[in-house]
Amino acid sequence: MRSRRLAIALLAALPLLLLILTIGGALLLFQGGLEPYRVPRDAGTPIDADTGLLAHGEYVAAIGNCAGCHTVRGGTAFAGGRPFTTPWGTIYSTNLTPDAEAGLGDWSLPEFRHAMRHGVSRDGVLYPAFPYAHFALLDEADIRALFAWLRTLPASDYRPPPNRLEFPAGWRWTQVLWRMLHYRPQNPDFGAEMPAEWRRGRYLVDGLGHCGMCHGRRGAMGSLPASGYLAGGRIADSGWYAPPLDGQQLARYDASELADYLRSGISPHGSAYGPMGEVVYQSLQHLTAEDARAVATFLKSVPPRTPPRPAQGEAAHSFVAGAADLYEKHCAGCHGRDGEGGKDGAWPPLVDAVAVTAPDPVNAVRMILYGGIAPTTPGNPQPYSMPPFVEALDSAQVAALANYIRVRFGGQPPLVTAEMVRARHGIPAH
Amino acid sequence: MVAMPSLPIHCRLAVLALCGLLAATSARADLADATERLAACSACHGEQGEGVRGAEYYPHLAGKPAGYLFEQLQNFRDGRRVNAQMTWLVGSMDDAYMAAIATHYAAMPPRTRPADTGAETLTEAMRQTAVRLVEEGDPARDVPPCTACHGKALTGLEPAIPALVALPADYIIAQLGNWRSGVRHAQPPDCMAEVARDLSPGDIRAIAVWLSRQVAADGAGPAPAGSFLPPRACGAMPHGEAP
Repeated sequence: MRSRRLAIALLAALPLLLLILTIGGALLLFQGGLEPYRVPRDAGTPIDADTGLLAHGEYVAAIGNCAGCHTVRGGTAFAGGRPFTTPWGTIYSTNLTPDAEAGLGDWSLPEFRHAMRHGVSRDGVLYPAFPYAHFALLDEADIRALFAWLRTLPASDYRPPPNRLEFPAGWRWTQVLWRMLHYRPQNPDFGAEMPAEWRRGRYLVDGLGHCGMCHGRRGAMGSLPASGYLAGGRIADSGWYAPPLDGQQLARYDASELADYLRSGISPHGSAYGPMGEVVYQSLQHLTAEDARAVATFLKSVPPRTPPRPAQGEAAHSFVAGAADLYEKHCAGCHGRDGEGGKDGAWPPLVDAVAVTAPDPVNAVRMILYGGIAPTTPGNPQPYSMPPFVEALDSAQVAALANYIRVRFGGQPPLVTAEMVRARHGIPAH
Repeated sequence: MVAMPSLPIHCRLAVLALCGLLAATSARADLADATERLAACSACHGEQGEGVRGAEYYPHLAGKPAGYLFEQLQNFRDGRRVNAQMTWLVGSMDDAYMAAIATHYAAMPPRTRPADTGAETLTEAMRQTAVRLVEEGDPARDVPPCTACHGKALTGLEPAIPALVALPADYIIAQLGNWRSGVRHAQPPDCMAEVARDLSPGDIRAIAVWLSRQVAADGAGPAPAGSFLPPRACGAMPHGEAP
């Protein structure tokens, strides 16, 4: 009697079980099947590294900005240890130097290639803080050169601290479930019919440069869904807003201005600041002129995913009393009475600036509080600077100023409150 | 030069390299439009690097040795000193611009009068402690007198030892505290870390409050390089044998 009931229950559950298996199988297939989990452990063939290959590898490392994540302030370059705070805990970047114990040691080229393209290594499934979704596009020549060059670094025995992640993210196999839900490999053949310059730009933006890590709009559980492709948003673990990258957002730049900006960090339309200043300093200043041009050409071709913003001044909002006087006293001297900027962009215009047009006001608040200096580059060897106002103005005044410039020059509603300004007091470590 | 032969060769090379970099930079280009370029610095350090009226914390920069200022900018960028605002501003700055900025402020008329109005009262006991430690040190604890390195007038020594006069008391307390707790570092050998660890918190308060009241002659800058020989090994500075 009892066993019969069990049999009936099993029979009834069978369709559900089949459904779960089918969905699970499909999701596994969508994230690349089983191949990512077959980590090659063969030794591979030694690379014949001539100086040309190594110079190329150094360029790949610079433009991929490996050191940006894999170096902690004051630490050995490429030896890892930079912390990344996530809602699930802290992840520390790894040591890429050839040290046998602490670094990539006896990794072979096939294993390195596999980790870059699939995000799985001998240590298990990597967390998506490592941009394998982008690096999957890297071509063989770049991966070989990068690997050969990394092996020429001085070995460092520095061991980054172990990750501190909460249950269940601390279990690496849970990343397989995350991948089933949120990882869809890019189509490497996308745009195959486009001109070579555009394809090179796409390779640098979507592949090596992994621009989407900051400029993509994040979805559930830190994912980067296709719907948020370069659509802009709050950067994970930085408290800065990254603008969308598309033809509409970048309309104020022509392609050569944009290419120059990437290498120099300065343009008639604004300077690099915050995390972008860091990226220009560490990485983009090394772009060749051709590659910078390719990136600019590609970015200007990206179709916008955000509706056009209201024209300047269209939003009818009144300013807090005294805001105009604050602007006149503290800002107009450099940014101009009408936000037009000065000194050929060394004093950036506020009209159409990302900080004033962005839906998220955080950049404007942080720039007013803590000022900034554009990165030093060959194209801008002695940058101008913006003073911090954290001591000169109180939170209500900072809010009034941020709202004033965003309404007047960006057509945005006055979202900033003194409480929001207070919440931004204190500079995050990175 | 006094007793240069006692210097290890790498120290002499490091001093030469530092002077070379600074000379190359100042020869290349003075900082044109400096006041406007360095607007971010002036907010706390004053337009001439003289410090800001009413500021009870920020140190003056004017007239300090260029080598010292240059190393501090590097230290903020590279994590040897911790001040979030400073690291934020200089995090993407190269050595050449840092050297130009250091040279710029080093050439300003030195600040020799205290700006500090917020320091606590200097008691007679504190004054005695401070004067003894500043002028004689404490051989029993292996603490050298401040004047042995920072000069009889406490106006520093080229190319890398800063003036101590006219600094706010809170700033001095914070620096010595940071050295003691391992937050502030200098290029090794980090002599100030050793000195700070040998001082008690009471000593530090007394020295800081006393120093914040000291005045040097108008225009008195750091002593010329080599005009005297500090007793301790500090970074790349020339020094005598440890006693």
